[in-house]
Amino acid sequence: MIERALLFTLFLIGFYGIVGKKHIIKKIFGLNILNNAAVILFILEGSRIGTDAPIMDGQASAIVDPVPQALMLTAIVIGVCITALSLALAVHLYRVSGSFDIDTIRMRIQDEA
Amino acid sequence: MRLEDLVYATIMLPLFGAAIALMGKLVHRNRAFAKTLEYIGAGIGLVLPWVGLTMLAPVVFSGGIVSGIVGNWYEGVGIAFRFDGLAWLIQILGYTIGLVAYIYSLGGGPRGPAFTTIFLIQTAALAATIITTDLFNLFVCLEVMGITSYVLIPTSKKPGASLAAFSYLMVSASAMVFFLIGTYGLYRLTGALSYEGIAEGLRTIGGRERLVSNMALTLLVSAVAIRVAVMPLYGWLPDAHALAPHAVSAVLSGVLIKTPLFALSRILGLFSNGPDVGHLMSIAGGITALVAVVIALSQQDAKRLLAYHSISQIGYVVAAWGMALQLGIDTALGISLMAAAYLHALFHAIFKGLLFLSVGTTIDITGERNVYALRNAVKIMRKAGERIPVTFITFLIGALAISALPPLNGFVSKNAITYAMKDSMLYHLLIAAGAGTVASFIKLSRIYLPGVPKLPMQRTPEGRRFKRVRLPSRWIAQITLALLCIAGGLWTPRLVSLVGRLIQPSFQGTLIIPALYSGENLLKTLWTALAGVLIYLVIQHPIPANLLHAIRTRPRNFKGLFVSFSLGTAGLAIWLLI
Amino acid sequence: MKENSKRSRYWSRFTTVIAIVAMAVVLLPIFLNDTSWPIEARDYLAHSGTEESGAINLVSAIYLGYRVFDTFGETIVLLVAVLGTMGMLSRVESLVDTSLEEEHTIGSVSGFSLTNEKRRSHALRTHLLEVVTGKIGPIVLLFGFYVMLYGHVSPGGGFQGGVIIASGIVFLALGNPQEGSSGISNPELLVRLESAAFLTLILVFFSGLLIGNGFFGNPLAHTQIPVGYIVILNAVIGMKVGTSLGFMCIAMMGGGS
Repeated sequence: MIERALLFTLFLIGFYGIVGKKHIIKKIFGLNILNNAAVILFILEGSRIGTDAPIMDGQASAIVDPVPQALMLTAIVIGVCITALSLALAVHLYRVSGSFDIDTIRMRIQDEA
Repeated sequence: MRLEDLVYATIMLPLFGAAIALMGKLVHRNRAFAKTLEYIGAGIGLVLPWVGLTMLAPVVFSGGIVSGIVGNWYEGVGIAFRFDGLAWLIQILGYTIGLVAYIYSLGGGPRGPAFTTIFLIQTAALAATIITTDLFNLFVCLEVMGITSYVLIPTSKKPGASLAAFSYLMVSASAMVFFLIGTYGLYRLTGALSYEGIAEGLRTIGGRERLVSNMALTLLVSAVAIRVAVMPLYGWLPDAHALAPHAVSAVLSGVLIKTPLFALSRILGLFSNGPDVGHLMSIAGGITALVAVVIALSQQDAKRLLAYHSISQIGYVVAAWGMALQLGIDTALGISLMAAAYLHALFHAIFKGLLFLSVGTTIDITGERNVYALRNAVKIMRKAGERIPVTFITFLIGALAISALPPLNGFVSKNAITYAMKDSMLYHLLIAAGAGTVASFIKLSRIYLPGVPKLPMQRTPEGRRFKRVRLPSRWIAQITLALLCIAGGLWTPRLVSLVGRLIQPSFQGTLIIPALYSGENLLKTLWTALAGVLIYLVIQHPIPANLLHAIRTRPRNFKGLFVSFSLGTAGLAIWLLI
Repeated sequence: MKENSKRSRYWSRFTTVIAIVAMAVVLLPIFLNDTSWPIEARDYLAHSGTEESGAINLVSAIYLGYRVFDTFGETIVLLVAVLGTMGMLSRVESLVDTSLEEEHTIGSVSGFSLTNEKRRSHALRTHLLEVVTGKIGPIVLLFGFYVMLYGHVSPGGGFQGGVIIASGIVFLALGNPQEGSSGISNPELLVRLESAAFLTLILVFFSGLLIGNGFFGNPLAHTQIPVGYIVILNAVIGMKVGTSLGFMCIAMMGGGS
């Protein structure tokens, strides 16, 4: 219960980072935190039904649910790719407008365009 | 070849083509060989799937459904898929627009093996989204579709395009994380990831868990609704579609905002709450149609005007789709509405693609995007080498189609929608939106006609008024779409019932087919057109013009995207609870 | 003017709070849900996962067997991200470039660049870093290959191994005292390897067709070693992930092509 409350807080912190912060890199941090909170939630809750890792080497008796782990492998990699692409876009925006602040960028790009 | 293989061939072929085109990127020394590889890849990816679709046509037309698990694994863990009439129709839509837009890009758009690769991957992702019936697979397919858009939008090298791509990326990626939480909620309740498994698991849950399933459904619908860009979640679309390269704009507006909607209808059909969601979405769709047209009237950038019209037209589709879900896809009215929604989605893709491509050619040649500054474009294009005004004629066909004038395809699909909605309040919203559409296309067409511009025109750097561009592939693409517009208009009464039969093969009754050429309908069309002309004349006066100017320069920022997303999600949640 | 900006700041904070509260209301029931976690999937897999797929590691069995299509989608996302990052960054000079070096010129950090060494010097790129990462790099690479190839019997697999390989590549790039990149950290080579890995992956998936198992079916299902399919897939995915992530890191470090 306490873990889920903490994950909920983490989730909201990530969302606050995306919405409330003006610096683009902090927004990207927020997205990352959001992603990680979702991943941990899946894996943590899936691990409650067993005690051993899902490797059937003859000694495992009560294994955890392997399905969330497999799903989250995919989700983690997708999150990394999105982060990389957004960082590349952030670098490009910095070069074009000279600032990392989202409102300044919008203003300067609209002046140029 | 088994049927399942044929179904997956339509997805694997573009990916195979993408791999071959990518090989072209690595062959630096021999440019001709690299280009050959690229074209072979594009051919495999955009032309060969038509063979597959033709072979699947008999199956689908006789009411058969190809479904199963990918790779034939155990159904409780594996990925379920389903290829039925709806999937076939959406793939036809995706491959048509994809092929035509690619042909246009050979002459007018971004070139290069990287572009071809990503374009083919996007087409494959569209095909995969509509046949999947597994929630996590839908997540992966939507992410692939999304990431290809984020990469393709900045290829137009405009500075605003990177900002548009960044905003779209942020809002879409966070929406997908919420989708993931929704998946968590449903998996915890039911232990299944496939739609059937989830629906079955939800049949036996109690009160408190029903609240959880409602919230999970809210998150899923909201994440998909961002991609579809209904009010209030439309904020990313105008910048993204206006600043992308022309071929990419055509595909984005034509296919990428519709496929998630129809994929969502598979989910909602199995939930008991589906009709309520449909009801809310239909109201949102109607409001979108009208409000977006008003904002479109105020725009001065030609492509941005078209982008706002895309939002308005998707409002039509969502209104019909929502009402179809509300009434149930097994009633006559429900199927007719769903068929009308699909037809409008298809025809809108064709005429909006046509408009983006022809306006795009005009912008490339004249170097001017502002509709108040550009005049007499036909003459300028003739000087640039276009002896026969092909672009103007194709633009005119597109404009007549979107204004719903006979005998073009827009006339048919818009009337199919409004006819089936006769008894509801949405009818009036959509008719009003139709009048507004006519008005704004009169405004847009003025760029082709002679006249005095209100603002000075820009000149290209060499000082001339025009730029020479490569015309043949642009012409082929534009003419193809124009012919499809006309064909859609002429064939249509049979198309409605055909589509209806494909969507719901088990329905035995008769569908509601609009009486297109009845006196009443033609009179209504005439009134709408006249109202449009009247609106256009009204906005020339200073007071309405100032109002429109205020609408155009309203403050829009990044945070607004997220606030509207949160409020929309919360609104849907509250609606489901009541 | 001050009134205006104070008001707009309050409005801005207010809208942020509204956005967060709205989402929190929707998310709370899902987070607090206490339904017991479903066990059907786990029981089935514990019972028959190993014999159906051939792998002892059930997570590998899932993402390379039951749900291999999702894995394929994920490798496609990687490919598109690499192409996009490459396209964006090649329009830009790296941020670690000579204009920033004025603050950290050779005069002030002479200890970090010997006279006949030809490389850009940067305050953070110390000799300690170079020596350590240069020596550890090959070991990390080897460990990555091990994790990748043994994924079917121990925790590991293509993705985990690929990420370790990527960090090995980055170590080698950091540890390189020369200016240009060489060896495995060459961006050109990495992109080529990745495209080759993508083509190989597609051909492997098509190969299931030849045996009659359909796309994504196991072509080695009726031979001695059905688990060979999983090992091959692990290897190809590991190469793909390793080269992709390695390329993206090196591109951001300033070595983009």
